[in-house]
Amino acid sequence: MKIVRFFFIFLIFLNFYNLSYSKDNEILKKKISKNIRCLICQGQSIYDSQSDFAESMKILIEKKLNEGLNEDQVYEFLKKRYGQWITYNPDFNKNTFILWLLPILLFFVGGAIIVRKLIVQKL
Amino acid sequence: MLATQIGYYSLIFGLIAGLLIILLSIKNYNNREIFINPKILPISFLQFFFVSISFIGLILSFINSDFSNETVYNNSHTTKPLFYKISGTWGNHEGSLLLWLLVLTLFIFLFLVTSSNQPKRYRILTLVFQQIIIIGFFLFVLITSNPFSNLFPIPQEGLGLNPILQDPALAIHPPILYIGYVGSSIIFASSLAAVVENYISKNWARHIKKWILISWVFLTIGIMLGSIWAYYELGWGGFWFWDPVENVSLMPWLCLTALLHCIIVLEKNLSLASWVVILSIASFTLSMSGTFLVRSGILNSVHTFANDPERGMFILIFLFILIFIALFIFFTFFKDNNLKKIKINWISKEASILVNNWFLMYFLAVILIGTVYPIFLEVITDEKISIGPPFFNKLIIPFLIFFLIFMAIVPSLNWIKSYLRIRITNIIFLILSIFLSYIVLDRTSSETLILTILLCASLYLFFITIREFFNKRFKNISQIVSHFGFSLLILSILLNSIFSKEMITNLKVGEKFNLKENIITFEKIENNKSKNYDSVIGYFKIQDKNQEIIYLKPEIRIYNEPTTITSEADIKTTLYTDKFLVMNFVKGKEYFNVRYQLKPYMIWIWISTIFIALGGFISFFKKEYAK
Repeated sequence: MKIVRFFFIFLIFLNFYNLSYSKDNEILKKKISKNIRCLICQGQSIYDSQSDFAESMKILIEKKLNEGLNEDQVYEFLKKRYGQWITYNPDFNKNTFILWLLPILLFFVGGAIIVRKLIVQKL
Repeated sequence: MLATQIGYYSLIFGLIAGLLIILLSIKNYNNREIFINPKILPISFLQFFFVSISFIGLILSFINSDFSNETVYNNSHTTKPLFYKISGTWGNHEGSLLLWLLVLTLFIFLFLVTSSNQPKRYRILTLVFQQIIIIGFFLFVLITSNPFSNLFPIPQEGLGLNPILQDPALAIHPPILYIGYVGSSIIFASSLAAVVENYISKNWARHIKKWILISWVFLTIGIMLGSIWAYYELGWGGFWFWDPVENVSLMPWLCLTALLHCIIVLEKNLSLASWVVILSIASFTLSMSGTFLVRSGILNSVHTFANDPERGMFILIFLFILIFIALFIFFTFFKDNNLKKIKINWISKEASILVNNWFLMYFLAVILIGTVYPIFLEVITDEKISIGPPFFNKLIIPFLIFFLIFMAIVPSLNWIKSYLRIRITNIIFLILSIFLSYIVLDRTSSETLILTILLCASLYLFFITIREFFNKRFKNISQIVSHFGFSLLILSILLNSIFSKEMITNLKVGEKFNLKENIITFEKIENNKSKNYDSVIGYFKIQDKNQEIIYLKPEIRIYNEPTTITSEADIKTTLYTDKFLVMNFVKGKEYFNVRYQLKPYMIWIWISTIFIALGGFISFFKKEYAK
């Protein structure tokens, strides 16, 4: 098992080593546009849509990236302008903490129930 | 005209048959006869027959383009090809409900025919519960969504079917999916009946397992067909978007998967009885709410085509009544004191199935919360939020890793008491997976830690399931096939998302575009006229490094009724990769917007899903355990 652990640590290091911040704008644009809702379509991201709105949003994102904004700043900019509805990645705030935490809470509750079932068993 | 009338009155007769069955059943329940009333079976058949007549009536109205029928008028057109006239029958709200009703009545009839070795009272109660659901649907169809309402004066021409629904995969997708959904109604009715009759037993588990398998297999295939359709028709090369309508079909699937595992424990040693009942209730509730959410129009989705809030209200009330009845029965009648309890050990198949359910329920919770949370938030705070792939990926992937590793380790455990063996091959496989996932990710530019571990875990599961084929040959072949399918599915989805490449550009006729892998030449366009659309076909020559040439011919279709422009992607599928090309008009310009994608291992996503379903299929036909 030691070897296994070693491999994992090795792997983790390799990954951190590879994580670089200088990402190509084109890749970044693609990534961002997959997470932005096309406001005039039925449930499509602007990446998937060819509507005028989506096309102009793609240009806008590209422009903002060229201005030197990073990924998070672009999201912030878009949210400020169009509201939370536009992003597929909801913020963690007072309205959404239940959304993010409830599933995890339920996971632990489920685990507790199983552990209890296995420990306390009437025979 | 005539077909419409006959269809409508058949529905009323079907409703009357339902009431009659309930009446007879109540009488029959309390008398001392050993067998169920022989009249019930023919009446149940008659009910199915009436609904079939009504369904055929609707199909005929569609084939004849009888626009005096409002449903036909709204969803058909004379120029539509015959195949889509027929599939248009269930491509709309009214027709799809009629299809629900058809499957509901067919299934209860089949249930009666195949359950003759079961206790009388249990059969009668199942029948009654199922008839309550059926009557609810009859009323729903007749009151809020009558497929046979008349229009006068009779319009000359229909409004046409949404062109993106005119597609072979989508023509068979609803019936298959509905068989899965409706199958869960039998499970629901039967488990409530079993609770009331105190008939939760190994015998019951064996009997209901077949029904669980039927719904599960059909639901699996149904979801797959929906995805295939999304892949080539929506024109963006994706197959799953965590869209609300996709989610609501996945939820009953997860629930049924959990149930399928649990019922085996019940069948083996009678534990987890209450959990099985809860899962049965939940599966059907989720199927129903799926219908409600899709039909009510409160979801914003690519798949929402026609809807009406009033209908949503009806389903919602009906759903609440059913849930109330179910919970009432469960808490009043459920007693497990006559079930002998077997201690569950930490390391045993029972415990591992509990953990399996734990994870599946977690995934279900994530999807459920992610799907309905925006609705509640909007009602309460007026704030609109969107929940999409980033949310689901963040909450599901970390847990999926543990799930995969767990799935690799535990299926070899024995019942009741077991121990974990660490074989030398396990370690070899683990090292091999780590090594391979490193190589894979080293060759691509975008990588994250979590993706590496996920890939590693899925490779590990993949190797282990392959080993299972050789290890215990044909011992539990259905499980091995399904698990193998699942590991292949995760693996191909991952490799597909890692290695997918695409380019989007604007091209004029005659222009060339150079990629690392391919050279794309836009050779010419051709205009074509079909019966119900005009199309522009682009001819693209794709040349790869080995000088092999293929042609892709994406189309832009301009449908006349209703006027809609759709782009039909052209896809060249091989075992290694899909070449996907779609083109679009650019307003006021002479060039086209061209999107070319290389999607490796795409076909394996579908093949692996078929493997998953195949496992269930094998299990369905497997000989029952000798008692």
